[in-house]
Amino acid sequence: MMWLSGGFVFRRGDSPYHRLDPRVKLLISALMFVSTLLVRSFYELLAVIAVMVAVAAVATVLKRVGRTMVLTATFSAFIFVINIVFTRNLESSVLYAVRFVAIVVSTSLFFITTSPDELEQVMKTFRLPRDVVFAFVTAVRFIPVMMLDTIQIMDAQKSRGLELEKGNIFRRVRNMIPVLIPLVVNSVVRSGELAEAMESRAYGAVPRPTSLVQYKSSVTDKVVALAALALFIAGAYSFYYILPVQLP
Amino acid sequence: MIEFQGVTFVHQNGVKALDGVTLKVEAGETVALVGENGAGKTTLVKHVTGLLKPTTGKVIVDGHDTKQTSTASLSRKVGVAFQNPDHQLFSESVEEEMSFALRNFGFSPELVRKRVDWGLGLFGLDEYRKSSPLVLSGGEKKRLTLACILAWDPDVVILDEPTVGQDSIQKEKLAGTIKMLRSAGKTVVVVSHDIEFLWPIQPRVVVMKSGRVVGDGPAALVMQDETLLASARVAQPQLVELYRGLSERPPGPFVDALDARRWFEERMKR
Amino acid sequence: MADMLEIDRLSFRYPEAPREAVSGFDLRIPQGEIVVLAGPSGCGKSTLLRTVNGLIPHMYSGDYAGDVRVGGASVKGSDMRDLSQKVGFLFQNPENQIFMFTVERDVAFGLENIGVPRDEMRERVDEALRLLGISDLAQRAPHELSDGQKQRVALAGVLAMKPSLVILDEPTSLLDPMTAGDLVALVAKLRKDLGTTFVVVEHRLDLLVKVADRLVVMSEGKKVLEGTPRDILFGDDAERYGVATPAVTQLQKMLARRGLATTGTLLTPGELAAELKGRNR
Ligand SMILES: Nc1ncnc2c1ncn2[C@@H]1O[C@H](COP(=O)(O)OP(=O)(O)OP(=O)(O)O)[C@@H](O)[C@H]1O
Ligand SMILES: Nc1ncnc2c1ncn2[C@@H]1O[C@H](COP(=O)(O)OP(=O)(O)OP(=O)(O)O)[C@@H](O)[C@H]1O
Ligand SMILES: [Mg+2]
Ligand SMILES: [Mg+2]
Repeated sequence: MMWLSGGFVFRRGDSPYHRLDPRVKLLISALMFVSTLLVRSFYELLAVIAVMVAVAAVATVLKRVGRTMVLTATFSAFIFVINIVFTRNLESSVLYAVRFVAIVVSTSLFFITTSPDELEQVMKTFRLPRDVVFAFVTAVRFIPVMMLDTIQIMDAQKSRGLELEKGNIFRRVRNMIPVLIPLVVNSVVRSGELAEAMESRAYGAVPRPTSLVQYKSSVTDKVVALAALALFIAGAYSFYYILPVQLP
Repeated sequence: MIEFQGVTFVHQNGVKALDGVTLKVEAGETVALVGENGAGKTTLVKHVTGLLKPTTGKVIVDGHDTKQTSTASLSRKVGVAFQNPDHQLFSESVEEEMSFALRNFGFSPELVRKRVDWGLGLFGLDEYRKSSPLVLSGGEKKRLTLACILAWDPDVVILDEPTVGQDSIQKEKLAGTIKMLRSAGKTVVVVSHDIEFLWPIQPRVVVMKSGRVVGDGPAALVMQDETLLASARVAQPQLVELYRGLSERPPGPFVDALDARRWFEERMKR
Repeated sequence: MADMLEIDRLSFRYPEAPREAVSGFDLRIPQGEIVVLAGPSGCGKSTLLRTVNGLIPHMYSGDYAGDVRVGGASVKGSDMRDLSQKVGFLFQNPENQIFMFTVERDVAFGLENIGVPRDEMRERVDEALRLLGISDLAQRAPHELSDGQKQRVALAGVLAMKPSLVILDEPTSLLDPMTAGDLVALVAKLRKDLGTTFVVVEHRLDLLVKVADRLVVMSEGKKVLEGTPRDILFGDDAERYGVATPAVTQLQKMLARRGLATTGTLLTPGELAAELKGRNR
């Protein structure tokens, strides 16, 4: 839960990175993602991770990304153990484990700096059906709302003497019931009322709805996008042709 | 009983919801918390049982610093009824719902039964004893959450917007319950925008604006301070407005219509 | 010309409900009227409202009888998409009707759906935000607002659509007193400037009696009283149905019985004070 909310839930920020066109942010994350798959050695992977850290620093989300890395590293430990047992190859095992962390971070960087409204914009440029876009984006939007709901429900039950942190594992699981039931009920009620509210506000009235905000790529966006592509190509070229790494 | 010492609270998104609040509520007082939307009333209330901890400053409840005490143990003393009943109803039946807190606080089965009976009776929920709390109407759900809290007999009762969705008959009953709690020596804090509901209760009124306490005093005084009220976007009760418009009037404003009628009749006789 | 809203012998029963939530209801509202609907909790007010913008029968199953027409067109025979452009609907619970990630985009949601061009939309959104005093919240996330702030966002979203019939289900329940007063003034202004028709469910009558043309009282699904606020509040039945008589009106009524006040109109506190002063001399 903490991993999910820390690593993937958008929080408003005001860095130059947040202000980029969401499509450019998607491009940068995609390039980083692909890079982690292309690298063949641990050192190359470190270079890619260094770029991610730099991006995180510009986006002023270093702390969050750091925490995500640490939490993800515990999953990675499994990957490492399984790999080492089956392949008995230290270098490739390390590579797989660290690669997993890098993949998570590249994805996370996109989601924590892109608001659901921007996400909608991105999905629209791919011409996905409106209902699909809306359903997906609404789900994303409701993650923070659900988390807030959970907090409020826990608050209400703690105020009635419920001690969530006490007792053995069975007791703790049982103690979650007074939180889970209202959470489920609320979500069901919420989705029903939400559907009514959408219908009442002319959802689907015209085939081509307009949009209040327009994401126009500024010159900065274009320059950043080109720079990212250039860096990617240069990196790939040097890894494959210049650095003395043997092809497998 | 409750003491805020220079409390400031900043939300995760950087919004400063409380800004140096210093406030003391003595045992047995009835306090109404009023002020514009977003003034920080709900945030303040959440500090009393330690659901939120001050960013700076201290909250002391019954001698305990909320930073050092768990919400569950503070709640034995302080019962809070939140705005949205759907955030807490979960049991199979209304009576189960009411016993939940009592069992958490270790009441004996016998006492649980007694307290549940008392609460259901007080709020006219007897007929729903065996029904699911989820099928109750909005107004009934709200009353059930109140009954749940009063059942464990806390020393302090805090109500956040208790009149929302209640019709006038229910509101009158609620005002009666608050007066009853007062005469039983309880400390009561009511957050409400419904000035006409608060006025006949004649509470101590604490006015909030932008995270600060900007006014504090008996209803009869605070509600006559037009500049203060306007700055905090609170309206004057109708009877105070009427009182202020009279040229000849009693020493203090009328508490309710009956009180006003009596005065006018007295004056006619003279 | 047909009235703005015509309800004929309407009955509705939710599936498996023991009795009808609305039963044999008749109502006619000409264009430009402000009508207040009151009645005890659970008497069927919200259900009646749902039949006006078509949520019932289009999104609810159940036994539906009678007819509802908006601007002459039957609700049952119209499409929700067309109805929602004519009828603005504010729900009782603001929490579940705002869902975009910023306040301004939420207010724009309806306008986007009906394809309003961007420049015009910008203007209308800004105006709605201004009218409700929430311009400074435009970029905030709706779920991070206080209860009353959420209610204002929801209201702005409804009013930005400029519907010809506006339905408000307890619109002031979470508003601070002055904002509630401002809203009532806004309702009166929209009626005057644009001829908008309003149906408002409200328990706090003290605010609305000044601008309402008509008060309709419901009990157990039926219409039990209908008339001007003055006639109903000075009558003897209002209290019986849990309609809150504002404190000054109670006093005006008591004093009138003793010949100390007039009963021609519902007086505001200031007016009653002036009248009593006048008598003094
Ligand atoms: N979960 C949250 N995250 C961020 N900011 C919040 C959150 N809840 C409230 N706020 C902000 O904190 C401030 C105080 O809110 P609070 O809910 O205490 O106000 P309130 O006085 O109870 O208002 P209302 O009368 O509208 O209920 C507001 O500016 C609000 O926008
Ligand atoms: N979705 C639903 N399914 C079944 N029954 C419902 C549903 N909604 C409401 N009811 C029932 O219909 C009746 C009328 O409810 P409605 O919500 O219309 O009342 P109301 O006058 O708006 O009350 P309140 O003032 O509490 O909002 C109630 O008995 C209620 O329990
Ligand atoms: Mg509040
Ligand atoms: Mg209702």
